[in-house]
Amino acid sequence: MFELVLQSLYAGLLAGGYYALIALGLTLIFGTMKVINLAHGEMVLLAAYIAYTAESVYGMNPVIAIPFAVLVVVLTSVAVYGLVSRIRQDRELNSLILTFGIGIVLTNFVLMVWSADIRSTNVPWFNEPVVIAGTLYSTSAQVLFFLSGVALTAALWWWLNRSWYGRSLRAVASNRNAAMLMGVNPRTTEVISFVIAGLLAGIAGIAIYTVTVIHPDLGHHLTIKAFVITVLAGLGSIPGVLLGAMLIGVAEYLTITLASSALQELTGMVLFLLVLFIRPSGLFGSRGRVG
Amino acid sequence: MNHPARHLACAAAALALLLPAADLSAAEFRLGSQIAMSGALARVGMATNEGVNVAVEMFNRVHQGRHTASLITVDDESNPAKAVAAIEQMAPQVQAFSGGYGSNIIGPASETAERAGKVYMTSGGVASELVKRGLTNFFRINNGEGYSRALVGMLNDLDIKSVAILHSTKDATQEVAHQVEEGLVANGTKVSFHAFDPAISDFKPILHKVKVLDKPDAIVMVGYENDYVGILRAARVMQPGIKLIAGVWSLATGKMANDFPELMQNVVGTSTLPYPVAFTDPEAQEFAKVYRDLYKKSPDYLGVFGYVQTRLLLDAMLRAEEAGALDQPGAVAAELRKSLNDTLIGPVRFDETGDNPEFTHRMGQHQGKQVVLVWPEKAATGPVKFPATPWTTPRVASE
Repeated sequence: MFELVLQSLYAGLLAGGYYALIALGLTLIFGTMKVINLAHGEMVLLAAYIAYTAESVYGMNPVIAIPFAVLVVVLTSVAVYGLVSRIRQDRELNSLILTFGIGIVLTNFVLMVWSADIRSTNVPWFNEPVVIAGTLYSTSAQVLFFLSGVALTAALWWWLNRSWYGRSLRAVASNRNAAMLMGVNPRTTEVISFVIAGLLAGIAGIAIYTVTVIHPDLGHHLTIKAFVITVLAGLGSIPGVLLGAMLIGVAEYLTITLASSALQELTGMVLFLLVLFIRPSGLFGSRGRVG
Repeated sequence: MNHPARHLACAAAALALLLPAADLSAAEFRLGSQIAMSGALARVGMATNEGVNVAVEMFNRVHQGRHTASLITVDDESNPAKAVAAIEQMAPQVQAFSGGYGSNIIGPASETAERAGKVYMTSGGVASELVKRGLTNFFRINNGEGYSRALVGMLNDLDIKSVAILHSTKDATQEVAHQVEEGLVANGTKVSFHAFDPAISDFKPILHKVKVLDKPDAIVMVGYENDYVGILRAARVMQPGIKLIAGVWSLATGKMANDFPELMQNVVGTSTLPYPVAFTDPEAQEFAKVYRDLYKKSPDYLGVFGYVQTRLLLDAMLRAEEAGALDQPGAVAAELRKSLNDTLIGPVRFDETGDNPEFTHRMGQHQGKQVVLVWPEKAATGPVKFPATPWTTPRVASE
């Protein structure tokens, strides 16, 4: 049993790494604009399908497809910003409806272009087993994107705290008018946050494509997963996202091992509700906190 | 009157007499199809829908100039509530329904069709509750027993002593998994059970339990395409000491052979057709030709199911029309129950519940780039490779 639990902890941590990749973009946009982008999962999925096209049509390694996927998703993300920024009243509520609609449009776009068939990488390297000490099993793709998730979280956190644009982003999130008086252009910073969210979604899409199986309906599930992690972490908390994602990953995998995999999703939701009940601002969140 | 004029007048008179007669015997058969063209079941819904369309097209080609069949298709978005709304919307315009995918969707949709007094024909739901509701207008051409019978029959013939069953918690998969368990236990086979949520993406913890705790001779998967890919990937990493991996629908197909050639080697699943598809009888050849005309690809098993259900329905409607009873309540249902039909999926006979007790599947195995029918012996197109798993033979992807 010890061997099984150890494997669960290991697999849960790895899953947390790429769960965090999915959630980072959503967290960033909420942190800066107080907008919950319900089309975030669909944008991740769009990147995954671009990776699939690059591999199946042009014979490219999905990792090499990252620049193309990122470019398309960043442009889509900026287009979403263009629409969201036009909302004049009740932006928090109306952006929910707008981005939900954009998500539906993107899902049907994916369905029309790539059909409803399931897709996954056939590049052998991603599926090669990585076995540690004969007891811990994973694939190369899981290790690669776990490390990517950790590195990108750290890089984003550093950028938000150390760079001028990062700090301006936090300033706009904290007090838009005060930031303007300090010479910060709020529109530019908001566009930047959408560009970075698109970039993160693009990388997350490649991770999803290589680690698991994609289909047009997946975007909706990814959005929910990202939303749960974001709220669990504390809205806007970047380090919280990584820790929250790992917590969810470990809880899910321990449930599979000690109880049943049929309860995996339920465990995540129970954890989510418990945290909301005990600490409504999330595990690492505080009122008005960003980054 | 000169000769040409007299001939013209005679022809005109004959035409005048014939035309009304031709109009009187012409009939339009109006079908409705509520099916998943988007959402979680879009892949299976769209493939089934292709078969439904082929049946309508073939009917129109055969009866050209006399009868016509028309089809209204509404996307239920893989949502039971939208399926009910689709049936309610189409009911006044159509005489019967052919379609539906997913037992949880077919259930409420067919009850709505029953209230409208219209036949509901499907191949997309195998949960036994569907035929236990006492509906007089519900029919399906396949069932879970047909899948489990084939799987159990083959495993018993291979003298498998212990099996780990991994199944999705959806209605139909859960039920088939329990039917497989019953069949295996009755033969003295040791069975362990692992249910998984449809949202699961990493099967390694389950495979780890199978490897460390169960140590079975074979793994049985009861799920859908994305589940199979996930399980097979995890199995390649964990490499449990098994002799065979087998499963049910959507597994031993040309699509899986093409899309995941490495993962599928030696995997066995229920299979209507070998791959590449080899049709021998004239109806099947015509079906394949029309399918390729319409969709520019080879038919898959879901297309065959969609075709067979719609063909049977249109034939019954035609017989009801010829008896002058098409629009009478219960006439089409009565025609459907009348005879044993020889179809592309084997014999179809409907009992009082609308189920097809004749349905038994075949088993196919991925061998190289082909799917070879390996069970039952009389339908086999080649021998089964056993013991064999995807990781115990050379890769074929780069061959």
